[in-house]
Amino acid sequence: MKIDRRSFLALTIGGAAGTALTPLPWKLTDDSSIWSQNWPWTPVPAKGENSYAYTSCTLCPGGCGLMVRMVGDRAVKIEGLEGHPINDGGICILGLSGLQLLYGATRVKTPLKRIGKRGEGRWEKISWDEALANVTAKLGQLRDANQSHTVACILGSKHGTTSTLFKRFMTAYGSPNVMTTPSVQDTLEMTLQVMHGVEAEAGFDIENSDYILSFGSGLIEGWGSPVRMFRANSAWRENGVKVVQVEPRLSSTAAKSDQWIPINPGTEAALAMGIAHILIKESLFDNDFIENHTEGFAGWKKMVLDEYTPEKVAAITGVGKTAIVRVAREFAGADKPLALCGRGCGDTPGSLAEAMAVHTVNALVGSINREGGVIAVPMTAYAAWPDMTMDSMAQSGMVKSRVDGAGSDKFPMAASLLNRFAGGVIAADAYPVNALLVSGANPVYATPDAQAFKKAVEKIPFVVSFSSYMDETSMNADFILPNHVYLERLEDVPVTAGLQKPMIGMVQPVVYPLHDTRHAGDVVIELARSMGGSVGDAFPWDNYEACLEAVLGEKWDALSEEGIWQDENFQPAEWGEAFETASGKFEFMNSAMGLMPSYVPLSLEGNASTFPLLLIPFDSMRLASRFISDPPFVIKTVEDTVLKGKEMCVEINPATAKSLGLANGKSAVLSTPKGGARVKIYHYDGIMPGVIAVPRGLGHTADDKYMAGKGANFNALIGPVEDRASGLDTAWGIRAKLAKA
Amino acid sequence: MDSALIPKGVKRCPLPQFGAALMIVSAVLLWGVFAMLLVWFKGLNQTNMNNAYGFALWIWADLGVIALGGGAFFTGFLKYIVGKDELKNIINFAVLIGFICYSSALLILAIDIGQPLRGWFIFWHANVHSMLTEVAFCLSCYFGVLCIEYLPLVLENRQIDKVPFFHNLSHNMHEVMAVFAATGAFLSFFHQGSLGGVAGVMFGRPFGFREHILIWPYSFFLFTWSAAACGPCFTIFATKLTEKIAGKKLVKDNVIELLAKISGWMLFTYIIAKIIDTIYWANVTAPAMGFTLMDFYISSPGSFYGIWILILEVGVCGLVPALILITDKGRKTPALLWTAIILASIGVLLNRWVMVLQVLAVPVLTFETWNMYFPSWQEIATTILPIAYGIILVMISYRYMPIFPQEAELNPIEEPETAVTQDTEAGEEAKQAQEAELAPAKG
Amino acid sequence: MKEAQGHNKTKKFGMVIDLDKCTGCGACMVACMAENNVSFREDESDKQLSTAWMRVYKMTNGKPFPDADVCYIPRPCMHCEGHGGHSPCVSVCPATATDYDNNTGIVSQIYTRCFGCRYCLAACPYHARVFNWWDPVWPADMEKMLNPDVSVRMRGVVEKCSFCYHRYQRAMEKAHYEERHEIEEDEYQTSCTQACPAGAITFGDLNNPDHTVNQLVKPDNRHGGRPKNPQAFRLLERLGTNPKVYYLSSREWVIRAGDNYVKNENH
Repeated sequence: MKIDRRSFLALTIGGAAGTALTPLPWKLTDDSSIWSQNWPWTPVPAKGENSYAYTSCTLCPGGCGLMVRMVGDRAVKIEGLEGHPINDGGICILGLSGLQLLYGATRVKTPLKRIGKRGEGRWEKISWDEALANVTAKLGQLRDANQSHTVACILGSKHGTTSTLFKRFMTAYGSPNVMTTPSVQDTLEMTLQVMHGVEAEAGFDIENSDYILSFGSGLIEGWGSPVRMFRANSAWRENGVKVVQVEPRLSSTAAKSDQWIPINPGTEAALAMGIAHILIKESLFDNDFIENHTEGFAGWKKMVLDEYTPEKVAAITGVGKTAIVRVAREFAGADKPLALCGRGCGDTPGSLAEAMAVHTVNALVGSINREGGVIAVPMTAYAAWPDMTMDSMAQSGMVKSRVDGAGSDKFPMAASLLNRFAGGVIAADAYPVNALLVSGANPVYATPDAQAFKKAVEKIPFVVSFSSYMDETSMNADFILPNHVYLERLEDVPVTAGLQKPMIGMVQPVVYPLHDTRHAGDVVIELARSMGGSVGDAFPWDNYEACLEAVLGEKWDALSEEGIWQDENFQPAEWGEAFETASGKFEFMNSAMGLMPSYVPLSLEGNASTFPLLLIPFDSMRLASRFISDPPFVIKTVEDTVLKGKEMCVEINPATAKSLGLANGKSAVLSTPKGGARVKIYHYDGIMPGVIAVPRGLGHTADDKYMAGKGANFNALIGPVEDRASGLDTAWGIRAKLAKA
Repeated sequence: MDSALIPKGVKRCPLPQFGAALMIVSAVLLWGVFAMLLVWFKGLNQTNMNNAYGFALWIWADLGVIALGGGAFFTGFLKYIVGKDELKNIINFAVLIGFICYSSALLILAIDIGQPLRGWFIFWHANVHSMLTEVAFCLSCYFGVLCIEYLPLVLENRQIDKVPFFHNLSHNMHEVMAVFAATGAFLSFFHQGSLGGVAGVMFGRPFGFREHILIWPYSFFLFTWSAAACGPCFTIFATKLTEKIAGKKLVKDNVIELLAKISGWMLFTYIIAKIIDTIYWANVTAPAMGFTLMDFYISSPGSFYGIWILILEVGVCGLVPALILITDKGRKTPALLWTAIILASIGVLLNRWVMVLQVLAVPVLTFETWNMYFPSWQEIATTILPIAYGIILVMISYRYMPIFPQEAELNPIEEPETAVTQDTEAGEEAKQAQEAELAPAKG
Repeated sequence: MKEAQGHNKTKKFGMVIDLDKCTGCGACMVACMAENNVSFREDESDKQLSTAWMRVYKMTNGKPFPDADVCYIPRPCMHCEGHGGHSPCVSVCPATATDYDNNTGIVSQIYTRCFGCRYCLAACPYHARVFNWWDPVWPADMEKMLNPDVSVRMRGVVEKCSFCYHRYQRAMEKAHYEERHEIEEDEYQTSCTQACPAGAITFGDLNNPDHTVNQLVKPDNRHGGRPKNPQAFRLLERLGTNPKVYYLSSREWVIRAGDNYVKNENH
């Protein structure tokens, strides 16, 4: 067939036109369009009925109320509960990411029994019956051998029914060794014990204060109840409240404050005493309070006037004399001044003498139990527990001396000294520790001198973790009895984060438990019941919910319906009735116990010439550093001046860095007497020369790939330093050195 | 062995030698293809681009290759519209270079976009305000024009030309080629310009932003101008490179010199316009946005974006080659000519780099720092891919098509018979064809 | 008469962020991620590769110790109006995958139309736009927490803050069912505004004199939306992007850090 031009063109054009008239090209176009817009591996979340479920957050002691948006039976978004007295709709970065803990990869989904060596991460899934049988058998064995006191228990919180159930179990079982995660609240409670003679928590009426003098408290870094503090900070901005922040580093709190006073690390107590000196010298104190409601002023005042002159204080703290005098006068001149302490987010208990010093600054201006001041909030027992009978085993066990030395002659005031536990276990002076139960805490990660703690755990032959997550403590356990995550639990959570009134929040489940987990409260009741005898008798409830309802009594209804209970009628005690010391008045010191407000310099470990720098930690809202570690959303927000790749950054003053030849962004090796880490250098103008800082919350070795292996654990770089008086950890830093990598 | 396909009157190297060279270049091509497949299947995380560098090596390569391919439209414009007839001796090669450049650009674009299967949305959901829309339409149309301009060359292959239909088709296409050249010039004016517009309209990027004449920023015109100026330089460079590798002269000096002269004047006038534009931008446009000229350059010595890059682009690679090419001596001295055409080609590439990558490197928010970028091997491989492809196409085109009309004249074959004694059958055919051709000439 | 007109005018949804109150806590970032199904990867320390719609930057005053000062500045998409609806990004998108809505002032993004040319990324001076270099992966059971109101994106497309447009749609639907035509100020609030524990973010209709955002900054529509409040500023005001996000600060250096100035120029 001869193809000439005409017929060729005709064929081509005709063919093209014909095809265009068929659906074929349009269908193919449409198909490819749809196909390239709906790749099968891109999830399409199912729609469903929208509703809200209500609960409280337990990821920090703050006690925020939550509303959780549900689509069908899936929880899709956590939001702050509007109208809640603490957070009123606001919520912090960690709280917002709670669903990633619920649905995440670190969940322990069934009870696990360790196979292989501790830390290898090899587990056998077992049933609850088997798990409980194992634990009961071991505990029974120890009890039968008169070793009940060799069982130790570490809890996240000392309040709430779940913790109380653990404590009740240990008492009925016969061991005094219950420890709780420490914080500055421990020291503040002791301060009130010594100076007011009451068992109370320290509350702060920050919302009504007009002058805030903060000695290193991370007011917007997680101190107290974080969202409450943020709201207060905003109100301060609006109302012209002056905030003075005293700390060695330009933290977010310092940057937001009206005045940042850089101070030599660890010398905050000296400044407090220096301010007290001016208040006394210039007669700026509240006459009524001092004359009529205090004891021991004359003696104490002499010491202050002699030893804390502006010159001496300036030399210790590095703060200029004029500044000291000015701040003291401003503080006294305000209507409702308030001094605060507890470095960073307040996880380290700190020095009792320092807490007392800051408390006297408040006392001198009469900011005690008054609007805008410190409030002693008595610890009323809100739950009614039935009496229990202790058998002879329990009685003999309970009088044994504690492994951590709390309550001993040396540390009579302390109820729990977790910082001394590792030492006690390793020394095994009185007796070894044969079993350890851990609930609501991750002490293998979070205890200063983490290596020592790990060594102690290695010595304990039987370790049970109740954690919902495969965290560092779970990794070193023999059995994991996973608790429900808070979003799956029912629980009461008293808020002990510095509120001015007693408040209890209710945690209520928003989803059915996703996995084969059990409420730790239920597990304790079952363990007790299977032990039988007086131990079992002490737990007459079928399950945790029944127990909760029973012990909460009339508060159960309010808590179930409102999700919160507040003592609306609470009023701070008037000065005439507030003090239950021997004298019936506010006491400046307790000479018998050698306790007084003062500056006690920390004896820092290490040689100043080998370790010429001072390493301090900093807290950040974006780095959870307690029981819960950052979920993926939160670690994602950490700045590249804090974490770069896998290395954490160390903040260093540019002048100091230059003198050491450490260029910005380069790798270096950080060493302290306790440990070392590879870090990246970050030149920061906001830190004093000679002082370096790293964040807390990094250096996890367990968890999932989003968190593990990033940065270094600050707790592995520092060790606790016991307060002479309280026994609690007072270390605010440690000596360090930096060398090029 | 393939002498039947080789144009008559010219010599080519033996097929095995050709095949070996082809293999080597193909290996490089395959490396590029591998990288391309990695990018298509794994995604753009195979590159070193990030949210600060949305445009990087590929976009620079696109802009660069289109600028260098500007020789096609400008030579066509000069030959068909202005009437510089001598340029017919280089126009084929210019078209070939243009074809390679534009097909490379389309290939790179197909690799560069995040969802290649949706690339056609640019036509389907076109946004008339976007410079890239204009680029896409114009580029596609112009590629069509280049195909039409390249097709006759293919049809003129000795064997294909024997088919009367194809012979007539190519003859007829030559007749109307002026229309296509004009279309091509018109389209090129717009898309070369729009590529300049891509950077020039970004009023959020003070380094790239230029003031407007109607809807077009000054960079629109400067891009077309520089493409018209430097495109021919690249064509000359490619021609001379081909001559070096082939070992023979392919285009007469007067053709080269004519193109070089026009190119030189274009380049000279362009540089003046560019300098005026730079002064205006540095003293009026940028300060209105809060920037001085030196804010756009890093002051520490040895930095990639130091002020040296401006001096290099406009001075060393702009003014210097312009001054060489506008002088007779410059054009006639081989060393100077080579220098000028290489510098001019580098100059336009440098201009495209600056107008894409430096735009993104310069911090705009006061709390940002300079962004740096270095391409990944996948990006480099896929950028070398079109170069390899181009070399292969030039090799095949040169071997089998009469690209250079003056080649036979410049390289007479002494013994016509000896040239065809290798293969008797083919030799007979060739002899007959030769006689056939000689016959009409006589007649 | 004028007031009634004021309420029926087209809306211009915008945001005011009080930098004196902002603590840099990052809640806004995570609230946005949780609400809008934003993805996350193992290593997010390279912020140029991190997908973040709302991003909190840290500014410093550049002074040495002890005069150093820092300020956190949250940066969502600015939803620029540009010149008459020609935002820097909207004008350059070749596939009309992004558009400026004159009724709300919001710049939309159609993920299924975007083919990933990234021109809008290059055009945006605020780095508000991010590209999906990888396919998002939701580990373990985390697909369960995806919000069905917001499309989940695939790799190869650009995404950015939408001022939680899906919440606007929900509010309008609710109003429609209740036979109303207008929504109240508190019925449409973005996720970041809602979450901010410091109450530093305010969101509303800049055109409505009853809305807090209007009262805080007093935008001057005759001068491209410039704020009349001297403590208010917009980032890169001089570029003429006419953004919808205003910042408040009592610190002079912070206000000045919002834009570029040739030496000795006043703002």
